[in-house]
Amino acid sequence: MALDTAKVENTMAKRLRNLLFSQEGILFIILVLVIIVLSGRNANFLSASNLLNQGRLMSEVGLVALPMTYIIITAGIDLSVGSILGLSAILLGVFWKNLGVPLELAIILALIVGTVAGYVNGLFIVRLNVPPLIMTLATLAFYRGLAQGISEAKSVTGYPEWFYIFGQKSVMGLPTQLWFFIIATIISIIILRTTTLGRYLYAIGNNPVGARFSGLPVARTLLVIYSYSGFMAALAAVIFVSRVTTTRSDMGTGLELDVIAAVVLGGTSIFGGKGGIIGTLIGLVLIQLLKNGLALSGVTSDATTIVIGLVLILAILVNNFIQRRRDS
Amino acid sequence: MKKFSLRMFASLALALFGLSFAQSWDGADSLPTNPLACGEGAGGGAMAALDYNGGQTMNAPDMMGQAINLIDVPKLVGIGYFAATTLGQQQAAEELGNVTVTTDAPTEANIDDQIAVIESYIASGNINGILFAANDPVAIAPVLRKALEQGIHVVGYDANSEPDAREWFVNQAEFNGIAKAMVDSLAKEKGDSAHFGIVTSTFTTPNQARWIAEMQAYQAACYPNMKWLETLEAQEDAVLSFNQANTLINKYGDELDGIFGMTSVATPSSADAVTQAGLCGDVAVVGLATPNGMKPFVNDGCVQSVVLWNPVDLGYAATYVMRAIVDGTLKAGDTSVEAGRLGTLQVVNGSEILLGAPYIFTPDNINDFDF
Repeated sequence: MALDTAKVENTMAKRLRNLLFSQEGILFIILVLVIIVLSGRNANFLSASNLLNQGRLMSEVGLVALPMTYIIITAGIDLSVGSILGLSAILLGVFWKNLGVPLELAIILALIVGTVAGYVNGLFIVRLNVPPLIMTLATLAFYRGLAQGISEAKSVTGYPEWFYIFGQKSVMGLPTQLWFFIIATIISIIILRTTTLGRYLYAIGNNPVGARFSGLPVARTLLVIYSYSGFMAALAAVIFVSRVTTTRSDMGTGLELDVIAAVVLGGTSIFGGKGGIIGTLIGLVLIQLLKNGLALSGVTSDATTIVIGLVLILAILVNNFIQRRRDS
Repeated sequence: MKKFSLRMFASLALALFGLSFAQSWDGADSLPTNPLACGEGAGGGAMAALDYNGGQTMNAPDMMGQAINLIDVPKLVGIGYFAATTLGQQQAAEELGNVTVTTDAPTEANIDDQIAVIESYIASGNINGILFAANDPVAIAPVLRKALEQGIHVVGYDANSEPDAREWFVNQAEFNGIAKAMVDSLAKEKGDSAHFGIVTSTFTTPNQARWIAEMQAYQAACYPNMKWLETLEAQEDAVLSFNQANTLINKYGDELDGIFGMTSVATPSSADAVTQAGLCGDVAVVGLATPNGMKPFVNDGCVQSVVLWNPVDLGYAATYVMRAIVDGTLKAGDTSVEAGRLGTLQVVNGSEILLGAPYIFTPDNINDFDF
C-alpha cells in the first residue's frame, strides 16, 4: 500500500517535471519572470486597461499565428501573410468605396480573396511541388505588388461608424478582436488535438513521404491549412482596417516575421512534426508584454527590439540545454 | 452623326479657347492659387481666416508653468531629418527649462508600429503631451483622439493628422511660400527675365502639381518677363531625372538659364547634369532637396540655392507651441504664438502654425546641416 502511494507520487512528480521542462513550461516560467520584473517598473503595466489594450494590439498577429503554427508543424512556412493582409485590406476598401459594394459584402469578399490567395499558395506547393519557402516568398512580392497596383498609392478612408466595432470597440468588456482571437484559438487547439486533421499535420511534418505512402490526404490537408492561413490574414486585415480607420497598400509589411517569431519561440519546430497552439500563445503574449512593458519602463523602441532578440536567443538556448539534459 | 460632329466641334473650340486663354504650365494643377506679395518679406498674411478646427483635450490637468514631460514620435528614428527635429526640440526644452522631451519611434516608417509606440506612452500615464509626425493622417487619428480624451496635449509637426485628432499642427511651409522662394531664388541668380525648365516627378503628383501652379501664379504676378520653357516628368528616378535635365540643356541650349528641380531626386540629378555639361554658372539649378544630397554641388559652387525648411526650427517651434498650449497662452481662436528665437509665428488654416518663409540653403550655411 505504502509502496503504491510512493509510486503514484513518483509518477506525479515525473509528470510535473515533464510539464515544467517542456518548451511551454520553460517559456511560461520566463513569461512569469518577465511579468514580475516589468510590473515592478511601471505601476500601469498590470492595469486592466493596459492589458486589455495589449490584447487588442496582439490579436492581429495572433490570428495569423494560429494557421502559421499548423503550417510550421507540417515543416512548411508562409511568408506571404503580411502581403495577403495588405491585399485583402486594399480590396476591402476598393470593393466598398470604388465599386460601391455594401461594406458587409465587401468584408466577405475580402475574406474570400484572402482565402483564395492562400489557396493559390497551397496549390503551387502541392501540385507543382514548389517548396513553401520559395512559393510564399514569391507571393510575398506578388500580392504586395497587386495591392500597390490596385490602390495606386491612394488610401481609402471614411468607413461608417458601425465598422469600427471590429477594431476599436469592446464587447462584454473585452476588445472585439480579442473575442475573435480567443474563439479561433480554442477551435485551433481542438482541431490540432482531437481531430484526424490534427494528427495528419504532425504526420506530414515528421515524414511527408511516409504520410503519403500511408494513404493520408497530404495534398488536401496542405491546401486546407494554406487557405486557412490566407483566410486568417484577411480577417486580421478587416480588424486592422477597422482599428486604424484607413486602408493602405503597405499594411501588414513585416507581419510574417512577428508571426513566425511567436510560433518558433513557442516551441514549434521549424523542421516540422513538433509544437502546438499553447506554445504559440505563450510566445505571442511574451513578445507583446515585453514590448509593452519595456516601453512603459522608459526603454526606447530600438532598444526594445534588441532586448526581444536577446530573449528569443536566450529562450531557445535554455530550451535546447534542458531538452538535451533530459534526453541524455 | 450630326450631333456627334457638333460635339466634336464644340469640344475642339473649347480646347482652343482654353489654350489661347490661360495656358497653364505642364504639371501644374488647376486648383485656385494664392500667390504671395512680390519681393522681400515672409509669407502668410493674406489667408482667409478659418475658424479653429483642431481638437480639445478633456480634463487636462492644469500644468501652467510647471514641469511637463513630452514624448516625441516622429515617423521613424535613425534618419538625419528627424534627428534634426529632435535637436530643435532639445534646444527648446533647454531654453524653456521646464520641459523634457523624449524621442521614441519605430526604426521604419510603419503606421502600426508608430501607433503601438503612442499607445504604450499613453498607458504609462506619465506624459503630459505628445509631439508627432504622422506616417498616415487617418490611421494615427484614433490613438491621438484617445490621448486627448485622457487629458494629454497633442501637437503635430512635419506630417499632419486629421485636424480634430490634435490641437495644433506646425506647418513647415505652405505651397505659395515654397513657390515664392523658388522663383525669387532664380531671379536673384539669373535676373528677372530668365528662361527656365522644370523637372518634376509626374504631372499629377499632388504636392509637385500644387507647387508648380503656385510658381506660375507668382511668376506671372512678380516676374512677367520670365519665361517657362517646358516641364518634364522624371518620376522620382535619379537616372531619368538626369536624362530629362540633359534634354532641357540640349534642346534649349543658350536659351536655358535655369532648371527647377521639384523633388529631392530631381534637384541633385539636374545639378549633376549641369555639372557634367560644364554649364555651372550658365545654367542655375534651384530646387527642393535635402542639404546632404546637395552639398557636393553647393560646395563646388554649381548650385546657389536649395529650398526647403529648417527641420531644427520645426522641432523647436513644435515644443514652444506645446508649452504655450499647456500654459494657456495659445488657445482656440488665437492668431499667433510666441516661439522663442523664431519670434511670433502666424496661425493659418484654422489650427496650423506656419513656421515661416522656407529656408534657403546656400554655400554659407549648408554645411551646418546634416540630413
